[in-house]
Amino acid sequence: MSDAAFREEVVRLAGDEIRTCIQCGTCSSSCSTAHLMDNSIRKLIRLVLEGRRREALASESIWLCTSCLLCTVRCPRGIRPKAVVSALRQICEREGISSRDASFERIFMDQIRSKGRISEVLLSAAYALRNPDAAVPIMEMGIELLSRGKVSLDPGTVKGMDEIERIFRELGND
Amino acid sequence: MRIGVYICHCGLNIAATLDVEELRRFAETLPNVVVARDIQFTCSDAGQNTIKSDIAELKLDAVVVAACSPRLHEPTFRRTITEAGLNQYMLEMANIREQCSWVHMDSPALATQKAKDLIAMAVAKAALLRPLETESVPVSRDVLVIGGGVAGISAALDLANAGLRVYLVERRPTIGGYMALLTDVFPTNDCSICVLAPKMAEVYANPMIKLMTYSEILAIEGTVGHFRVTGVTKPRYVDPTLCKGCINECSGACPVEVPNEYDFGLGKRKAIYMAIPQSVPLVACIDTDACIGCGLCAEACPADAVKYDQQSEEFKLDVGAIIVATGWQPFDASRKEEYGFGRYRDVVTTLQIERMLNAAGPTRGEIVRPSTGEIARSIAFIQCVGSRDHTVGNPYCSRICCMASLKNAQLIKERYPDADVAIHYIDIRAGGEGYEEFYLRAQRLGINFIRGRVSSVEEGDDGLYVHYEDTLLGKTLMKRYDLVVLSIGLEANRDAEVVGNLLGLSRRPDRFFEIAHPKMRPVEAHIDGVFIAGCASGPKEIQVSIAQGSAAASKAMQLLFKGEIELDPTVAFVDREKCIGCKLCVDTCPSRAISVKDTAFVDEARCKGCGTCAAACPVDAIEMRLFSDEQILAQIRAATAVKGEYPFIVGFLCNWCSYAGADLAGTSRIQYPTNIRIIRVMCAGRVDPSFVLEAFRRGADGVLVAGCRIGECHYVSGNLHALQRVEVLRGLLREIGIDPRRLKVAWCAASEGDVLARKIQEFVEELRDLGPVGTELAAALPSGKV
Repeated sequence: MSDAAFREEVVRLAGDEIRTCIQCGTCSSSCSTAHLMDNSIRKLIRLVLEGRRREALASESIWLCTSCLLCTVRCPRGIRPKAVVSALRQICEREGISSRDASFERIFMDQIRSKGRISEVLLSAAYALRNPDAAVPIMEMGIELLSRGKVSLDPGTVKGMDEIERIFRELGND
Repeated sequence: MRIGVYICHCGLNIAATLDVEELRRFAETLPNVVVARDIQFTCSDAGQNTIKSDIAELKLDAVVVAACSPRLHEPTFRRTITEAGLNQYMLEMANIREQCSWVHMDSPALATQKAKDLIAMAVAKAALLRPLETESVPVSRDVLVIGGGVAGISAALDLANAGLRVYLVERRPTIGGYMALLTDVFPTNDCSICVLAPKMAEVYANPMIKLMTYSEILAIEGTVGHFRVTGVTKPRYVDPTLCKGCINECSGACPVEVPNEYDFGLGKRKAIYMAIPQSVPLVACIDTDACIGCGLCAEACPADAVKYDQQSEEFKLDVGAIIVATGWQPFDASRKEEYGFGRYRDVVTTLQIERMLNAAGPTRGEIVRPSTGEIARSIAFIQCVGSRDHTVGNPYCSRICCMASLKNAQLIKERYPDADVAIHYIDIRAGGEGYEEFYLRAQRLGINFIRGRVSSVEEGDDGLYVHYEDTLLGKTLMKRYDLVVLSIGLEANRDAEVVGNLLGLSRRPDRFFEIAHPKMRPVEAHIDGVFIAGCASGPKEIQVSIAQGSAAASKAMQLLFKGEIELDPTVAFVDREKCIGCKLCVDTCPSRAISVKDTAFVDEARCKGCGTCAAACPVDAIEMRLFSDEQILAQIRAATAVKGEYPFIVGFLCNWCSYAGADLAGTSRIQYPTNIRIIRVMCAGRVDPSFVLEAFRRGADGVLVAGCRIGECHYVSGNLHALQRVEVLRGLLREIGIDPRRLKVAWCAASEGDVLARKIQEFVEELRDLGPVGTELAAALPSGKV
C-alpha cells in the first residue's frame, strides 16, 4: 500500500533530489556493506518513492550503513542516499520500531551526551551487556587492545559539555 | 494632426456586446479626430476603401482602427494607409474585440466604457506617431564558416553550390573534424571516412570556397551584412604549393616521436606529420612543440617544400553572415577517478576504441589490451561517463553514446564472435530512424546488456574488475574484463569560447551555445546574421549535424541573396546630449547592439526594438522610435482620464507572449473582469519605472506587468530585467506609502490565455481587498487627520 505521507517525510528529511533517482545502482555498488543487506540502497530509495513504508522501515539495510558516504559522493543525480538511511533510522526511532542494532546507536549517543566523546571500552561493554551474543567475538580483541594500551577505560570528559547538552536539546532529544 | 477613427462591428463579434454608435460619437469628441465612422467589416475591401478615400479627401495624418488585435490585422491596415499615401507607421489599433467584446460578453455597459478608454488611448498615441522610413542597406554576400567538421563542411558546400562565396576557417591542419577519425558509423555501419572524404575533397576543389586550415579567428567587428573578421593562419613550416603529400619521406626521416592526438594517445606520430591519410589539404605540418630543428625533413623532402622561415599570416574578411560550427570536445575521462582512466592502461575511451577499430588506426583494426598487446576476449562498455552526471557538472545526456557503443559492440562481435561483449547502461536511448532496429540487432548478436551504472573499476592481476549492481536482478556484482571502454560524453568546445565571446553568443547552463529558440529557431543565434550548426549548440549525431549545416546555409542564403537587407526602423536611438556614458544600456541589451564611446551608440542593424535599454537608462537618454516614452505616457494618461470603474488596473503586456495570451483568451471567449486597460509593449523589459509611477499618480489602483515565461523571453532576458525593476519599484512604492502588492507581475505564454485571465481575476480581487489606491496612505496617518 502506498503511503504518501511517509514518502513526503523522507523527501523532506533527505532532500528533494531523491525524486530524481534513476535507479542506476551506483550507490549500491559503491556500498561496502551491500553484500550484507536485504534491500540495496537503490531499492530502499525505490521503496520510499513508492511509499512502501512497512517494507522500507523493516529493512535491516538501514542499520548496516557505515556512513562512509561513497554513495553520496558518486551519485550522478546529486542524491544523498546516506541521508535517506538517516531519515529512515530517525522514523524507526520515533515510531519505536525495534531493531537489534538500534541499541548500538542509542548507547553511542548516550555516551556522547554524558562525556562528549566515546570510550571504546565502555561502548563495547555496554553493547555487550545488551547483546551477549555479539559480545563473544569482540571480547578477545578488546582484551588485547586493552593490554597494549590502545584503548583506555576512562577517556575523560570534553570541555563545553553545556554546549553539547544544548545541541541535544535543540535537536529535540530531551 | 488630423486623425480618422474607424470602429469595426466585425459583424456581431463586436457590435453584439459593445454599443458601436456610442463609441463612434465618443470618438468624435476626442482631440485631433476629424472623422469617426463605424464599419461593418473594416478589413473588407469596402472598409479599406472608406479609409483610403478619407485619407485623400480629409487629408488625414494618422488612422486609428478600433477592431481586432493588431497582431492580426496591423499588417493589413498598414498596407491600406500606405496605398493611400500615408507612412505605414501612422496607424494605431484599439483592440476592442479580443481584449474587450469577446472577454466581457456579460457586461456590455462596462465593456463599452472600457472600449471608449481603449479608443481614447489609441487616439492619444496616434497623435504622437511619426513617419518612419525603412532603410535598405547593401550587404556582403560572402559567408564565413567557422569549423571544418561535418556540419561546417555541409554548410560550406551548400552555400558554395548556391553561388555564394565561402570562407571556411579550421583550427586544425585538416578539415573533417571528429567524423574523419571514426570507424564505421551508425545506424548503417558504413565507413565514416569513405562517405566523408569525397565531401572534404569537394570543399578543396570548389572555386567558391576559400579553405583556411590551421587558422584562427582573432577579432570580429561589425554587424549583420558587414562583419569584419580578422584571423591568422599559423605557419606549418611546409609550403602548401610545393608539398605533394607523400609524407613518408619527411616523417620517415624525422627522429622525434610523440603521442598522436589523432589516435587519442594510442599511436605515435612524428614531429612532421599528416593528421590523417585523407587530410585536406594534403599538406604536411611541423609540430613546433616536438620539433628539435635537426633539419632532416628538409633534406628528405623531394619537393623542397619544408620552409623553416615560414611566418604566420594575418587575413581580413568582410562577410555578411557567419556560421558557427565549432563542434565539441570529449569529456576528460580521468575526471571520473573511480574508473581508473589514465591509471589502468586497459581502460580506454570511445574515441580510442574507434581508432582501434579503424583499419587505418594504430592497431590496424584489432581490439587489443594496451597493457599486453594481446587480443581482448572480454570487453565492457561503461555508459554515461561524463554524461547525466551532476558530480562532473554535466547533467545532460550526450545523446550519441548509446548508439556509438551499440555500434562498436556490434563491430567487435562481428570481428570476434567468441568475445564476451557487455554494455553496462542506465537507459538505452535509441530514438531515431532505424535506431531501435539497430539495438535489436545488437541484442541478436549476443551482446550482453547489463542494467546498472558501474560504480568503479579496479585492476587485478588478471584483468579489470567492474563493480555494479544488476538492478534488474537486484544484486551487487563484480565482473572481470580484459578491456573496459568508457563511453565518454560530449562537452562544449572550450576553444570555441573565443569565437563565442567575439560574437556575443550566449550559452546555456550546459555551456553549449544557445540558439534563438529551443524549438522554432534551431540554427539561429540571438545575434542577427549569426547561425549555429552541429555540436556547437549541443551533442548531435552526424546526420543531424549535416542537416543543421544545410539549414544554417539556407538561413544565410535567405538573408544575403538579395544583396541588401531592410533595417527595421522601430529601434532605439540615443539622445547624445543627455547620455552620461554609464554603459548600463550596454549590459542590458540582449542583442549587443549598443556600444559606448563617450556616449552610447545604437547599431540599428542589430537592435531588435525590445526597448529594455530605454527603460534602463537612468537619464532617459534612450528613446524608441515606436512605442516611445511620450506615446506610452499618453496612453496611460488617456486610460486614467476617466476612472470608469474600481479597481482600475493599467496593464503592460509584452507583444510576444502575454499580449498574445490575452488575444487567445479572447478567441477562446474566456471571460474576465473589465477592470484592466492593456497597453501593448514589445517586451516587459520596456516598462520604464516612470510608466508605473505615472499610472499610480493618475489614480490606477493596480499595475500589471506581464511578459513571457521566465526563460522564454523573445529577447532572451527582457523579462528578467522587468522582474528586477519591479522588485526595486516595489521598495520605492513602499517608501512613498503605496502598498507594493498593487504592482503585480505575471509570466504567461502565448498559449496561456486562461492563465492570464485568471491572473487578472485574482488581481482584481486582491485590489478589492486593498481598497482604492491611497487607502493605505490614509490608514498610515493618525486617525482624524485624513
